Amino acid sequence: MRILIVEDDPHTATFIAKGLTEDGHTVDQADNGRDGLFLATTETYNAIILDRMLPAVDGLTVLRTLRGAGNATPVLVLTALGDVDHRVEGLRAGADDYLVKPFAYAELSARIDSLLRRRQSSSVETTELRVGDLELNLLTREARRAGKTIELQPREFRLLEYLMRQAERVVTRTMLLEAVWDYHFDPQTNVIDVHISRLRQKIDRGHPKPLLHTVRGAGYRLGVRE
Amino acid sequence: MNRLIALLSARSTSARLALAIAGLFLLSYLLLGAGMYYAVSQIFAQDLHEVIRLDSADLVEMYHDSGHAGLMTEISERTASPDDDNAVYALVGPHGRLLAGQFATLPDYVRNGDNWVEFDERNASGVVRVVAKLQKLGDGSTLLTGRRSHNQERFEALVRRTSLFALLAAAGLGGLIGWITARWVAHRLESTYDITRRVGAGELALRIPEDDSDDSFDRLAKRINAMLDRIQELLDGVRHVTDHIAHDLRTPLTRLRNRLEEMRTEHGRAEQFTSELFATELDAATAETDQLLATFSALLRLTRIEAQTAGANDPEVAMQPLALDAVELYAPIASEGGIVLDAQTVPCTLRGDADQLFQLVANLLDNALKYAMRGTRVTLHLYDDGDAIFLIIGDHGAGIPAVDRERVFDRFVRLEEHRGSQGSGLGLSLVRAIAHRHGGSVALEDNSPGLRVRVRLPRAVAN
Repeated sequence: MRILIVEDDPHTATFIAKGLTEDGHTVDQADNGRDGLFLATTETYNAIILDRMLPAVDGLTVLRTLRGAGNATPVLVLTALGDVDHRVEGLRAGADDYLVKPFAYAELSARIDSLLRRRQSSSVETTELRVGDLELNLLTREARRAGKTIELQPREFRLLEYLMRQAERVVTRTMLLEAVWDYHFDPQTNVIDVHISRLRQKIDRGHPKPLLHTVRGAGYRLGVRE
Repeated sequence: MNRLIALLSARSTSARLALAIAGLFLLSYLLLGAGMYYAVSQIFAQDLHEVIRLDSADLVEMYHDSGHAGLMTEISERTASPDDDNAVYALVGPHGRLLAGQFATLPDYVRNGDNWVEFDERNASGVVRVVAKLQKLGDGSTLLTGRRSHNQERFEALVRRTSLFALLAAAGLGGLIGWITARWVAHRLESTYDITRRVGAGELALRIPEDDSDDSFDRLAKRINAMLDRIQELLDGVRHVTDHIAHDLRTPLTRLRNRLEEMRTEHGRAEQFTSELFATELDAATAETDQLLATFSALLRLTRIEAQTAGANDPEVAMQPLALDAVELYAPIASEGGIVLDAQTVPCTLRGDADQLFQLVANLLDNALKYAMRGTRVTLHLYDDGDAIFLIIGDHGAGIPAVDRERVFDRFVRLEEHRGSQGSGLGLSLVRAIAHRHGGSVALEDNSPGLRVRVRLPRAVAN
């Protein structure tokens, strides 16, 4: 996938570019808003990582200009401003996701994967999700592993649905909190871990191949890959 | 120098005010004067015309009674020994020849016609304005009856002269009133000006004296003082944070630095330093950095929330589902710790930020579960007493001694016995900041045994 990074801090830009290249993406870089806007409008990208505070033209202006011109490339806004108001402002300007600095690379990578994935699958409405021998029926709200029904609480259902939609991709704890609980807040302890371990009990217990994996320093991944 | 410039600019404001007042004063005087002058002139002119009309009618009567000759005699008599020095008469023949009267010359246009005329008469004493009525007679001659407008002109000159003096007096008076007003305003503003200048220069504790007169100046002073209080509060907050950052972030940073340095040294002695050990050390350093970053962002968030104020435009937040979501989020942790998490809630709404309120409930539940003993009960009680919304979270843990109950709200304050455990020491500070930002308050009480946190939040008022 082709990704444009618009970020004025050379360290951060190099750090992100290196990671994304290692993940198999092709990366272009701009260190100010004007060049970023130029590249974004003249080239085609699968996603854009846009810093909010940029020299020449600021990030939100770049974003509004892009959206105003009908460009629908998924945009992840990076910012040191983490307030809810700022987040809302960013999303209103047309951002698809919003990530507050400082961030772990794993978080960025997971979110970019999610953006690229959302792009591909948004057109098809599925009623059943399947990962390995795990099935989730979105209409009857039934979960099955190897044909055996699994009893799920409503929240566990949402958690599993989200993990299955992001199958084989890393999702971070923050992403889970935002997507499944719908609150932006800092958990003091890792409350998510307990929910995941409960879910793991339900879907992996008694099966030789576990599906729900913990990714060190990043989060979780649901998938058949070891 | 600054003071001089300030004084000059203050003066210029006063000067403008004084000028504006004087100007308005003069303008109204001029309008009034002009009106008076016009009205009186009109009355004079009407009187004059009336006198002339009567005189003219008298002479025409005489012409009808005594004929041309009689009129000629009358005019000659009146011209020779006038009753009124200002009366003028003339009889002009059909061909424009002067038949009788005292005029040596007459402007051509008054030689015939049938209307009112005005012209200048030149004689030894100078030029005099004459107002006259022309009257065509039966024999084709024209009778002119008029008055020299000496009196009117004298009156008008008098009015002009008097007006000029009055104008000067008015200008002086206006200037004086303007100056006094400007002085008064400048005086009232001076203390405000002086204090704000000094506060700007750094004397933050100064306040403008309030005289409780509740006039505009007093209200302005009160406003400014309230603003200064708020600024001071925020600055104190910043100072407090800075102190604590210096104090509390330095320790983990030092630890991190030492660890890295140690790794460098160990790395030199390669035989002892296995890649496994290296990875462990790196993980520990990363974890330490993450902890620092988390503390730092919590600190930023706290400062931002403290700077916010409750707004009537905040969206309504339903507290019950929010509290139940938080309970549901923490339920697995509770059951793992062998703790019963018990929630009693009622529907209630308040205005504010749902994410922040969720953070508040989550922090309190987190704390309660952290300190509760295995086998005990943690209770969340949400109710509305008709006046305010109360959120009460109680545990049966070690509790907090009464002397420490205020102190634990401060940033980074962690009681000695909890020093070792996980946590940034910002949880309760954040709870209080969020409660304050929503116009509420937090109190810590004895749950005998344990701690009970009582959060009071204002209800949403329908608007």
